[in-house]
Amino acid sequence: MKTPMPFVWKRLLTISCLLICLLLPVMFLGLCAGSSGTQFTAVYDALTGSGKTDSMLHDIIWRIRFPRVMLALLVGSTLSLGGLVFQALLRNPLAEPYILGISGGSAIGAIIGILAGLSRFPGVSLIAFAGSISTLLVILFVTSGQSMVKKDILLLSGVMVNAFCSAVIMFLVSITQDTRLHSIIFWLMGDLSIAETGQVWILLLMLFPCFILLFLLSHPMNLLLLGREIAQTTGINIMGVTMALLITTSFMVSATVSYCGLIGFVGLVVPHFLRLLLGPDHRILVPACVLGGGAYLVLCDMLARVLPEQGEMPVGIITAMVGAPIFIYLLKRSKA
Amino acid sequence: MAAIDIHNIVHSYGHRPVLEDISLSIPIGSFFIIIGPNGSGKTTLMKTISRIETPQNGRIKILERPIQSYTRKHLAKTISWVPQTIPIDFPFTVMEVILMGRAPHQGILGIENQHDFKIVKDAMKFVGVEHLAERKMDQLSGGERQRVYIAKALCQEPKILLLDEPTASLDLAHQVRIMDLMERLKTEKGVTIVMVSHDVNLAALYADHLLLLKDGKIVKTGSSDQVLTCRTLEDTYGCKLLIDKNPLGELPRIGLVPDKFKVNEKKDVKLF
Amino acid sequence: MQRPKSKLKFGYLSAISFVIVGFVLSVAVQSHGKDIFDQLGRTVKLTLPPQRIVSLAPSITEIIFALGRQHLLKGVTRFSDHPWEAKKLPKVGSYVHLDLERIVALKPDICIAIKDGNPKEIIGRLESLGIPVYVINPLNVVAVIKTIQDIGRLLGAGEKAHHLVQNMHLRLERVKSTVSKAAFRPRVFFQIGISPIVSVGTDTFIHELIVLVGGKNLAEGPVPYPRFSREQVLGLSPEVLIITSMTRNAIFEKVKADWGRWNNMPAVKNGRIFMVDSNLFDRPTPRLIDGLELLVKLIHPALLRESR
Repeated sequence: MKTPMPFVWKRLLTISCLLICLLLPVMFLGLCAGSSGTQFTAVYDALTGSGKTDSMLHDIIWRIRFPRVMLALLVGSTLSLGGLVFQALLRNPLAEPYILGISGGSAIGAIIGILAGLSRFPGVSLIAFAGSISTLLVILFVTSGQSMVKKDILLLSGVMVNAFCSAVIMFLVSITQDTRLHSIIFWLMGDLSIAETGQVWILLLMLFPCFILLFLLSHPMNLLLLGREIAQTTGINIMGVTMALLITTSFMVSATVSYCGLIGFVGLVVPHFLRLLLGPDHRILVPACVLGGGAYLVLCDMLARVLPEQGEMPVGIITAMVGAPIFIYLLKRSKA
Repeated sequence: MAAIDIHNIVHSYGHRPVLEDISLSIPIGSFFIIIGPNGSGKTTLMKTISRIETPQNGRIKILERPIQSYTRKHLAKTISWVPQTIPIDFPFTVMEVILMGRAPHQGILGIENQHDFKIVKDAMKFVGVEHLAERKMDQLSGGERQRVYIAKALCQEPKILLLDEPTASLDLAHQVRIMDLMERLKTEKGVTIVMVSHDVNLAALYADHLLLLKDGKIVKTGSSDQVLTCRTLEDTYGCKLLIDKNPLGELPRIGLVPDKFKVNEKKDVKLF
Repeated sequence: MQRPKSKLKFGYLSAISFVIVGFVLSVAVQSHGKDIFDQLGRTVKLTLPPQRIVSLAPSITEIIFALGRQHLLKGVTRFSDHPWEAKKLPKVGSYVHLDLERIVALKPDICIAIKDGNPKEIIGRLESLGIPVYVINPLNVVAVIKTIQDIGRLLGAGEKAHHLVQNMHLRLERVKSTVSKAAFRPRVFFQIGISPIVSVGTDTFIHELIVLVGGKNLAEGPVPYPRFSREQVLGLSPEVLIITSMTRNAIFEKVKADWGRWNNMPAVKNGRIFMVDSNLFDRPTPRLIDGLELLVKLIHPALLRESR
């Protein structure tokens, strides 16, 4: 008797295929559209290697747009996955990837780097990364021991750290008057225009193992949602799993944020969106967030580059303006 | 062989002592119910047995083996915990929750195979929730939810089932239904049932052994007759009680005595 | 008498030949492309005189127009508003947030950037895409003059640059000699921010201009853009209050009226509150000299009347 494929693998493959079918065209659009115009045939030629592309367009497609699309994909995946994990860990639907002090710490680090006149990469990014890891350490210290698995303490310490950091950031912004203020503002709004192929590869190498690890922890995440007591008595090492989730996700989000600043709304809305459509099983949601979240940000970034007449809009504006109405609509439908 | 052996457990939350030098033995295959006033340490005792809490002092043996010698998964396959409620922030379906009970028997991703599905189906049949398989947890009644938790716990294929006040918020029909389920588990599958209950009468009706706790100390342990005496209960709970014989059998029936019925402090109305 | 004469003749001949050779060499070298050094000492590889230029700051756009090389200019940044023809050129983002794609799409031979403002990374990326970048860093009036000469040389407008610079020198010297007769330095408060009140410290063009025209900058000090509360300004008791504004006149009238309530302030008593166009004072361009001349009128009007 043939053993039918286990149910969850089948679902996983179907959904992944669907999402890839969504992702690839969106990435193609991202390569075609840009501030210097939209060129479908040229990109098609460039992709199929027919060698007819003029070298300026070639540079634009491969050395400007392609790393940018890849970066949008990575950032969208990371932020969505980060939001998903924190929502599960903290059992709180309002959780998002910046909630445990990551945004505050990295912003302070970035501002210090910018004020010191360092360039975005590696200078500012390294200091921003150090900043977010510092806040993580503060939170680990505050919640050390058994209290870490008590989600409210984790959540509250994150909120407090962020509040403190916000005050410091406001102070630093208020005392800066020269052109560095612009750099600070752009960093705080999130900026994908800095994408460079080599740097994006480094980010990919840092993030991919995190994606794999979080996928392996997706079943324990399901169990964590049933409460501490159930998770523990069903054989999960809740201390170990909590630490692993916390550290991996913080590392992943810190790396992303240090590179391109604070892009908002993706990490909050994409997990909810996907959960509404696909259910709360994290074994499906983790890959879905990677593919779906990535596609979402690639799309929003493309719109951010193409829609405005003068220059580009910060991508965080598009993610909110596109995401919120769709989410509200889905929410209403699900309640009915 | 005793299912659970407890020697000299001492446990406190911070500086507040909760359990003081508890020693007892729970026979295998019995229906063991722990009763006592609020704050007597009933649930804490169960949590130390299931290793949710680790006592500051004392030894616990599960099936003749020290509790520390069990790996997490092995312990999960031996003891199952049925909570009073679980958080429902992101509701799973009934099927998904019960399937998660198979986790101790699965690999890291918890991929379910045919055997898992069969066990789940049997458990759902046993507790009577088959028709609810695709329902979301937040759309169930209290009694239905409790049965789902039991089904999930059963999927762990435990030898011992621990239940924390399972009938606390259930109506009469569901109370009886759950307790009967436990009785069936005991007799049909030989599972040792350990339960915390606030309902002394239910305890009287079902328990093979009772444990009465007060302020973290054992007041009395034994059969219903031995534990549920008027003096013992009045002293423990600190209120007037009326104990008579349950018409269903040689079982005590405990009743409350409201103020308006207290005729005379001297006259004890005792019919048993 | 024969030997000294021939010696002299020989001297003249060699001098002339040196000059000719030097001229020929420099022309030859220029047309064959060499490594040019920009104002940060970076090597800029340029093989031919540039035909397509992108300016990465409004001040650079102004300088290129002033040098008469605007036909080479193919792209400018968003606030390149002077002269008005510059507004019609294609935009490549703002000088603090450049649009890499648009710059590359314009296929420039060279981009001219400014250190204070343009993001460092963009310079690196443009060069990695094969576009040379010439970076200027004018920190004071003398440096601005040198910048005009450097850009002139870069764009083959050496002669025009020379004329322009000579004119600037002339006017600068005229101002200096006018104010040398000043007996005192009026106390000047130069307000560049309305809410909060922000003035200029020692490390700015404006401070240098104030000092050059014989005024005393009340906000001088190490902080480049220090903040003041109204109290502090009143305490400094300025004799001349100059407000720069990128906004409309209506706002200026309101700000003037606000200050007008404090009639103990000398500037209010003597009605010496003025509004000026900020672009004459904070852009490193030939118009700085215009700003200079305007300042003399505002700060030492008496001296001007005398010198007429």
